[in-house]
Amino acid sequence: MVGLTKHYGVFTALNGIDFDVPRGSVFGLLGPNGAGKTTTIKILTGLTKPSSGSAFILGHDIVRDTIQAKKRIGVVPESSNIYEEMTAEQNLVFAAELYGVAGQDRRRRTWELLETFGLAERGRDTVAGFSRGMRRRLTIACGIIHRPEILFLDEPTTGLDVQSALVLRELVRKLNKEGTTVLLTTHYLEEADQLCDTVAMINKGKIVALDSPEKLKASVIGSNIVDVSFSEHVEEEELCKVGGVIEIHRLGDKIRLTVGSDVDVVEELTDYARTRGLRITTINTLKPSLEDAFLRITGLNPEEAGRDKEPVKMRRQDG
Amino acid sequence: MTIGEDLSKALYIARKDMKVYYFKAPNFTYGLLMPVALYLAFSVSGSLSPATLISGLVSLVILFGTMSIEAVSVVLEKQTGTFERLLAAPVSLLGLILGKALAGFAIGPLTAIAVLVPVSLFSGTSVQSPIAVFLAVCVSSFTFASMGILVSCFARWTPEAQMYSNFFRFPMAFLSGTFIPVESMPQFLQLFSRVLPLTYSIDAIREGLNNSFVTGSYLLDLGVLILFSAAFMLASAKVLERQLR
Repeated sequence: MVGLTKHYGVFTALNGIDFDVPRGSVFGLLGPNGAGKTTTIKILTGLTKPSSGSAFILGHDIVRDTIQAKKRIGVVPESSNIYEEMTAEQNLVFAAELYGVAGQDRRRRTWELLETFGLAERGRDTVAGFSRGMRRRLTIACGIIHRPEILFLDEPTTGLDVQSALVLRELVRKLNKEGTTVLLTTHYLEEADQLCDTVAMINKGKIVALDSPEKLKASVIGSNIVDVSFSEHVEEEELCKVGGVIEIHRLGDKIRLTVGSDVDVVEELTDYARTRGLRITTINTLKPSLEDAFLRITGLNPEEAGRDKEPVKMRRQDG
Repeated sequence: MTIGEDLSKALYIARKDMKVYYFKAPNFTYGLLMPVALYLAFSVSGSLSPATLISGLVSLVILFGTMSIEAVSVVLEKQTGTFERLLAAPVSLLGLILGKALAGFAIGPLTAIAVLVPVSLFSGTSVQSPIAVFLAVCVSSFTFASMGILVSCFARWTPEAQMYSNFFRFPMAFLSGTFIPVESMPQFLQLFSRVLPLTYSIDAIREGLNNSFVTGSYLLDLGVLILFSAAFMLASAKVLERQLR
């Protein structure tokens, strides 16, 4: 896409973004709420038109050659959009019909996907009685029944239980291995880290970073991060007195410190606790994560990054 | 995309809509009971001829039956998010609208027959040209279904769609010759009735009831209804296209 811009009245949702998604890759679009991720997906899937700029799907201009472009993509929106009055099987068959899957393949693929997503036993039940997770799985199945060359996944695992999320990630890897290009947006940075070959970070309608997750993480090396908790409550301001501290955030009963790479933070904190008669309950030194890169690059704090929706989630690697 | 592909997708959308919307309670109350009740209330004077009575009632049933489905069929999908699924699919906007209209079109003849047969038998009225009446019912159904789609494309939520829908249905019901013959209306209302599709629907069905041959008036009525349908479909596509910007 080249110079993609989208205005809603006076609000600029996208401000001239450019990026290419390599064929056969898994590409992640990350950013805080309102950054422009969903608008980007909507433009690329023909659900809205750009104010200026252009985007091509496998050589088809999404504005001028919309139908041809749509034939080659699958779309899984953020919220489940299946017909409650119809059965799971009917929903999938209808999706297959809309995308021109040949008559003899429709029911076979339908039941294959119902099996894959653990819905085969409920295949002939109306969706009205399905749980949120089951609806999500069915929505995703509807998005891939025609075996698209490019799959757009907008927050695919939101609302899924752990088991279903694992199944879905496995499926994304499998589809990608079979040649499907995947473009996903996610709030779960660990998910992006695990799945994506390339990540674009978007903030205020602009691409602020575009690279592989490993390179983005490497870009924040130069500081150390430590999670620490004490036997008694300690104010964040108090810890400013610890040598070499750059940033402080409270995370529940823990305090996260970012310190310079040349500082022996464990010794500094031990000295701090000893002089005040405190006991260190837990202390973890952490490797830089994609979340650290995300926060550093976007300049947001964790609260801003997760505002309005679920917070940015990341399981850190203890070191 | 070929026209054939678009048409087949329109048929799949129509079939889906029939599954989803046909058996909802408002379709029976607004589609069948409301026009019958209205008609009974206004026809007790007995001053209307059987052909006028039947053509008016049948047209009214088609109007209320198709519009009660179509006026909410797009807006309900917008509310539940399923409309986005249709918009993301490789089908043109006109194909999508055609599919929606075809679902309403299919219910028209069913409700019309449900009313026409018992009323004709009860009143002892013979239908001179059943084929012409059936064709007029089909064309009218498509016109009113397209009108319902246009209303639904404008609306943002269901009560708004029902309000717009009644805004068109009730004035048409009174000004198209359903309860009062158009000829007995004041001149300006007679002129106004000429821009209402229901006028042509009533006229076409009455022509089929009264004549065993195709009249010029009948053909003109069908032609005007087809033009109305095309205008409603194109306007609906424009409204949706504007909403995608």
